[in-house]
Amino acid sequence: MSKVSFFAGIAAALLVAGALSFPPRAEARISLEKCTLCHGKTEFRKILVDGKIRDLFATADSLKGSVHEKKTCVDCHFDVSDIPHRERPRRVICTHCHYKGNAEGAPQSDASLAYIDSIHGKAIARGNVKAPLCQDCHGGHAILKAKNERATVSQKNVAETCGRCHIEIYAQYKTSIHGVAVAKGIKEAPSCTGCHGEHQIYGHLDPKSTVYSTHVADQCSKCHASISIMSKFGIETEQVATYKGSFHGVANQFGSRTVANCSSCHGTHEIRPAADPLSSVNPANVPKTCGKCHPGANPNFAVGKMHIDAKKKEAGIVYYVASFFKYLTIGTMLVLIVHILLDMYGRSKRLRGEK
Amino acid sequence: MSVDEKKANPQEPIDPEAEAALAEETAGLDPVKAAEIREKVRRRIREEVEREIRLRTASDRRAEVRKRREEIRKEKHHQEGEMFQRFNRNFRFQHMVMFTSVVLLIITGMPIKFPNFFLSRIVINLWGGINNSTIVHRIGAGMLIYFMAHHMLYCMFSREGRRDFLLLIPMPKDLKDAVQNVRYFMGKSDEKPKFGRFSYIEKFDYWAVYWGCVIMIGSGAFLWWESITLKYLPKFFIDIAHEAHSDEALLATLAIIIWHFYNVHLKIKEEHPLEYEEIMAKRAKQAASEVGNP
Repeated sequence: MSKVSFFAGIAAALLVAGALSFPPRAEARISLEKCTLCHGKTEFRKILVDGKIRDLFATADSLKGSVHEKKTCVDCHFDVSDIPHRERPRRVICTHCHYKGNAEGAPQSDASLAYIDSIHGKAIARGNVKAPLCQDCHGGHAILKAKNERATVSQKNVAETCGRCHIEIYAQYKTSIHGVAVAKGIKEAPSCTGCHGEHQIYGHLDPKSTVYSTHVADQCSKCHASISIMSKFGIETEQVATYKGSFHGVANQFGSRTVANCSSCHGTHEIRPAADPLSSVNPANVPKTCGKCHPGANPNFAVGKMHIDAKKKEAGIVYYVASFFKYLTIGTMLVLIVHILLDMYGRSKRLRGEK
Repeated sequence: MSVDEKKANPQEPIDPEAEAALAEETAGLDPVKAAEIREKVRRRIREEVEREIRLRTASDRRAEVRKRREEIRKEKHHQEGEMFQRFNRNFRFQHMVMFTSVVLLIITGMPIKFPNFFLSRIVINLWGGINNSTIVHRIGAGMLIYFMAHHMLYCMFSREGRRDFLLLIPMPKDLKDAVQNVRYFMGKSDEKPKFGRFSYIEKFDYWAVYWGCVIMIGSGAFLWWESITLKYLPKFFIDIAHEAHSDEALLATLAIIIWHFYNVHLKIKEEHPLEYEEIMAKRAKQAASEVGNP
């Protein structure tokens, strides 16, 4: 009796499991068919009050190739239950699946939390309707992984994506050395996210920001202090170290917000090589650039190297001054310390009574 | 006579000898005018005498205090000999200004030379950040510049300053002393060199301060008024000033902490037998003059 009931129990469990696992797929197909009744027509669109056209065309192909290939319409548009919709369906809430510990198979990541804390997330929370939600950067149906070159958030395309809102900055960046390098397909060159971070983007006046005045040098040094990256492009890697040894670098390290950091002289989005006449560090522009903080800087000031390392011969006269003081210090201290040691030696000898 | 007699009657006669001389001088004059003159002279003489007494009592009082202090010290540390004051108040004040400024300069400057040392951030934050510590550094610099000016004037316009400056000029004897001292340390000789008022060690310290002040104040001025430097000079002037300032700072700090502190604070006793002899000779001379002229 008990054996029969055991098997019956297993059979019932299997049935329930089967009922739970198979019918949704069938339902999904049904839902897709239902949705495409209207959304499958190419001319299905809505004219908004401001005259813009909202394209509402979406078919089974919309998700094809994307990371959500296996999802169906109502997996994301879960507030849709009536056809035609009684009220306008709400924007998709990605955190429905995208949170750490989800069981939906979405990547285990806290990116959504980072976003909520970011300047974009806070703008949304304050009710700024223009601020971006997930889908504004990642795209709607055709979401691809950032590694995929065709993704809206790939290294190659992310600047354009950000530029949809930050259009002036995008224009500056596009002609800068970094923008040109990214357009050439150089993988190491930074796009927006290379410096500003991905989800945790903060305003540059926020101390949490990667581009806060005291963090800029560290952020630039991630690439510019790396020999393996810089050697590919023939760029020196001492710039960050020499900056950190200078008074600007030291004061910056101790938290001064008024002292110059990398971007004070080189610019932010419009960074160009020194040879470029439009560059802020082109010798012709150096007096003006220094003059931002040190009024009245003269053209003479631009003569010679800016980033110098006194320990290297290229520093010229500074190297010889440094060497002079090095040997002076070593020589003087050697004599003085020997004198002290001899004094101690004599004293201890006499204290012990040896002569 | 005492202060109470200040309001004494001008007609009252003073010391008979002076009175006689006065009478003789005013003999041929009109009696009324003579009395007037005598009164005036008596008042003047009294004032002079009182002033002298006041001065003498003040110096006596100071001498007494010194004597009492000396006695107390002798009671407490009876095994020690007499104490001598080697440097006057002005000299000690100068040294205080200098070491205060140098300590301020070192503790606000060294963190900038060694920003990665763990204490650097703590020390900078003690002042409330780099903006404040640089202000303290400039206060220290101002004090050092003041000290330099004060000392120059002292060397020029004070008798003791002139004497000390001349005594601080390096002499062949200093070289001999140094060699002799090293021989004494090594046990090659039993005779310690006899130092005068300033040993070669003190002379070295003194001239090292001149060198240090010239380098530090000279290079510091470029860095203090960097906008003016930028206006007229190429950048390498600032680089040289920065390098010299930072390197000489290290040398000065090491010399002070290792050399000066060892010689001045850690050594049990530094003797100046020649200066002692000089003081004793002076005293003997004074005593002799007092005996001959009681």
